[in-house]
Amino acid sequence: MPEPARRTRPPAPVPGGGGDDEGDGPSTPKVEKPNTDDLLKRMRKVDPDQARRYRQRTGE
Amino acid sequence: MILYGIETEYGISRETPGPDYDVVAESIALVRAATQSGVRMRWDYSCEDPHVDARGFRVEALRQDTDEANYFAQDAARPLSFSEIKSDLALKNGARFYNDHAHPEYCTPECRQIADLVKQDQLGDRLVMECAEALTSKTTDREEGRVRLYKNNTDFQGHSYGCHENYLLPRDLAWENVSEGMRAFLATRQIFCGAGKFGWEDEDRYIGPGFQISQRSDFFSVMESVDTMQQRPLINTRDEPHADPNAWRRFHVIVGDANMSPYATYLKVGTTAAVLAMLNKVDPTRIPQLDDPVGTMREISRDPRWSWDCHLTDGSPTTAIEVQRQYLALVREALPEPEDGFQLDDWKKVLDDLETRPETTVDRLDWTAKLDIVSKFRDAENLSDVDPWLMSLDLSYHLLDESEGLYYGLRDQGQFRQPPGAITTQENGFPPPTDTRAHVRGLCVQRFGQHVEAAQWDHVRLRDETASLELDLRRLFAPEAVAAAVAIIERAQHVADLSPLPFAKPYKSV
Repeated sequence: MPEPARRTRPPAPVPGGGGDDEGDGPSTPKVEKPNTDDLLKRMRKVDPDQARRYRQRTGE
Repeated sequence: MILYGIETEYGISRETPGPDYDVVAESIALVRAATQSGVRMRWDYSCEDPHVDARGFRVEALRQDTDEANYFAQDAARPLSFSEIKSDLALKNGARFYNDHAHPEYCTPECRQIADLVKQDQLGDRLVMECAEALTSKTTDREEGRVRLYKNNTDFQGHSYGCHENYLLPRDLAWENVSEGMRAFLATRQIFCGAGKFGWEDEDRYIGPGFQISQRSDFFSVMESVDTMQQRPLINTRDEPHADPNAWRRFHVIVGDANMSPYATYLKVGTTAAVLAMLNKVDPTRIPQLDDPVGTMREISRDPRWSWDCHLTDGSPTTAIEVQRQYLALVREALPEPEDGFQLDDWKKVLDDLETRPETTVDRLDWTAKLDIVSKFRDAENLSDVDPWLMSLDLSYHLLDESEGLYYGLRDQGQFRQPPGAITTQENGFPPPTDTRAHVRGLCVQRFGQHVEAAQWDHVRLRDETASLELDLRRLFAPEAVAAAVAIIERAQHVADLSPLPFAKPYKSV
């Protein structure tokens, strides 16, 4: 069994706001800080066994 | 000039799949529930040959031929013809949608602009989501029987399915230059276009828990071959240009992950097309070569320190970031401004951020966004790093359901940058790109759908009471020629009215 990934706790995301290093490309969305609580609620509804039941045929 | 497109095989299941769940039947049913009109079961398989190898020969057999034969034997028991099992649909945007190896597969139309490619890929996601809703509505229990679609590449048990890219290149770009020139690039580009995976696999088996940055890197073990399903190669040698073979080749990239973030798709295809365009403009000896590209690809994906160390053929140490920077420098030198609208500064920016503050890329990259939100959940729930729930959350990131999928949850909170071409939730329509032959194919489907006898990437055959014509699209690549053809097709009332097209010729219907 492989050693679990060690670096799995990146700092908080930095969305919103367009910094001074933005070029002509796509811009960071101008939004309030994402509400992580709502998303965590969505995640709690995910069946922990969902992946165990998921079976596919090999494709290309 | 480079045209490109993406083929995506989606994972398919039900909320509670029963013991008799038949993934092939489900995939067929999903494709047949298509909500967009098109030409059904007229795809012309007679000219396809995946055994032709770009190295100049034709292989006797593919490694998957035995499996394919077994699947074919199983499927022969179904009360369906080959065409019905495939259920090909040529769509009005010039795309193809069908059942391939038990997966619904959407192939974008050929695109010339990166914004079009992003849009067409997302239109595919929307189409298959609508099909899933249509199929769910036919079930008696709409909760337990809800169709679930996943834009990912694995079932965590060693069964992988692809998201392939296709790039049309001039034939005078030698195959050796393509193969050798792309190895280090494809082995390392996963640092910005990997979709992330909570699990380690090998071909045909699950190994154990652990995060890695790519969904697909576990499934590649060969440097170069024509195979796509077993002992997959970093460089796929399939030589099936779907164009004049004397003038064109198609580079079939099979190592990529399916991306939820359209920005990751933008980077994946934009950078790859730029590198391919550079290949015949620089001295090949200046292109970085890794000591072991296949092994390096897997090591980079699994590197828990994100240092992505590797070695060049002369033994000198380097990193994936440095390799990508070398490619970027060569591209800037050869073509300062890609013709497809891709911004090289966006490539540089993501490399800079990955090197100094990778956490800031959660607004663009799937793997960092997934790792970030799942890590927050793990901490909030006090789960261990090996809890199987993490794998289920990984799967949910890829769920094509805007009300439940984790990617969509992040998107709706404004976390993700949207690249040029990204569609909005209010945006409707299913248009083809206007500057490639896909416009001609799509218009034929829209205006003469009932008269299409056969469709392929490089030809369309039409017949009505006025004429039988084959539109030979093998050389139709100039945007001006496409525009002129579109004007004729838009005015046409009958198939005979298409005769003035310079690439139309009579054919005898069988």
